[in-house]
Amino acid sequence: MKSEAILHMFPEHMRGRWKEAAKRADQLQEIRLRAECPACALFTDGEKFVDEKGALVDRPPESGQATPEELEEILKHLCQYSVYAFADEIRQGFLTIQGGHRVGLSGQVVMEDAERIRNIKYIRYLNIRIAHQIIGASDALLPCLYDGEGRLYSTLLISPPGCGKTTLLRDLVRNASNGNAYGRGVNVSVVDERSEIAGSYLGVAQNDVGIRTDVLDGCPKREGMMMLIRAMAPQVLAVDELGGESDIQALRMASGCGCRLIATIHGSSVEEIKNKNYMRDVIEEGLFERYVVLTRRGGECHVEKVCDGRGNRCLRWRE
Amino acid sequence: MFKMAGIACILAGCAGWGVSRVGEERSRVRHLKELIGIIQRIRDEIVYGKHTMPEICLILKENCSPAYRICFQQIYEKVSGPEALPFDRVWKRQTDICLRGAPLFEEEKDILRNMPQNMAAQEEKLQAESIGRSVELLVRNCRRAEEACEDKSKVILSVSLLAGVFIVIMLI
Repeated sequence: MKSEAILHMFPEHMRGRWKEAAKRADQLQEIRLRAECPACALFTDGEKFVDEKGALVDRPPESGQATPEELEEILKHLCQYSVYAFADEIRQGFLTIQGGHRVGLSGQVVMEDAERIRNIKYIRYLNIRIAHQIIGASDALLPCLYDGEGRLYSTLLISPPGCGKTTLLRDLVRNASNGNAYGRGVNVSVVDERSEIAGSYLGVAQNDVGIRTDVLDGCPKREGMMMLIRAMAPQVLAVDELGGESDIQALRMASGCGCRLIATIHGSSVEEIKNKNYMRDVIEEGLFERYVVLTRRGGECHVEKVCDGRGNRCLRWRE
Repeated sequence: MFKMAGIACILAGCAGWGVSRVGEERSRVRHLKELIGIIQRIRDEIVYGKHTMPEICLILKENCSPAYRICFQQIYEKVSGPEALPFDRVWKRQTDICLRGAPLFEEEKDILRNMPQNMAAQEEKLQAESIGRSVELLVRNCRRAEEACEDKSKVILSVSLLAGVFIVIMLI
């Protein structure tokens, strides 16, 4: 991760203030901006405040609070002066910018009717989550995720937010696509609904997702999975953040077509996932043959355990 | 013999002057039509492709006359390149350079120059509608310019030929 990429997220006249934080780009995980509050930067070793001159300090500084106008300017800059192009994403409360970084938004919601959100106005809270590509992040897991014949097991990555699910998924996709010591390279298709896995820009993946990977960018998972199965004949299908019954139905269909699956879901354990209505049957059916549970300890992301489809720990896993 | 040659030269010179004046009048219409085409394309790319403005610049640089092509290429490179300069400032500067000397009124040039200031709509259809309104103004001006151009062309050509005849009579 280059520090310039961090600086370019801000309008030109604000970049000076973020130079110190950008120097630690590799450890930077989040930038939190709130109206009339000091700016925060979350690094792997903890939270720091950014004062008026850009110095990283431990205590909230008394000056240098972000103004609503500055937040709107940053948002406009992040949207490349084309807010209309991000309307759907803004409605969902986030947008993904070049490089696959996700910007969470909060403000005042305008409702279309009782159930549908039309817009978010007065956006006064921004959470810029920095995407990191870690080549080799999944290497240690590979012995558990391939059978003796070089076939990838369908795998579900489980973790709370911010524990590296997407980073691990991206690297697994790269490994499956390029081939590795445990299996030869296969055609992988990725439904990148929020442009976080491949970080595509003008249709080209900015992250290394492997030489045999096809990316369907910005498409809802359900439609995307079916399109890719019909059009690209993948051997492995990867999706991020399963979130409902319709996603599961599409996964079942993909599995029925002979595709191996790699997916992620929010949660802290297999047991917790079982409590989600739409996941209980999936686990009992054995749609996934491996579960990888991630956690965060001491500011760093770790694989807590790897289980097979019955919930037994994988013996070949050594942390 | 020499008189006849002289008469022909004077008439041809006056007619040529008239034709060049007519060409200048038509150039305004041509510029207006090109500007309308560009703004309509921007509107269509917003509605259909939901492209961001830098992406639209990339598309436009492939589909415009050389003067505008350089302008949009520069905008894209400066905004998306390593400097990542702010879009509104780069757009204003480059379109200003591009439109300098174009036979257009300032209010017509401002439609393109000030476009980023009108890009605050949070929905593509609303954004396209707001751009559509400026296209209407340009289309109206273009129609007026075309009508005026036809009338002016006739007058200029007639006057230039009559001036030629008058000079010939005077000289004879």
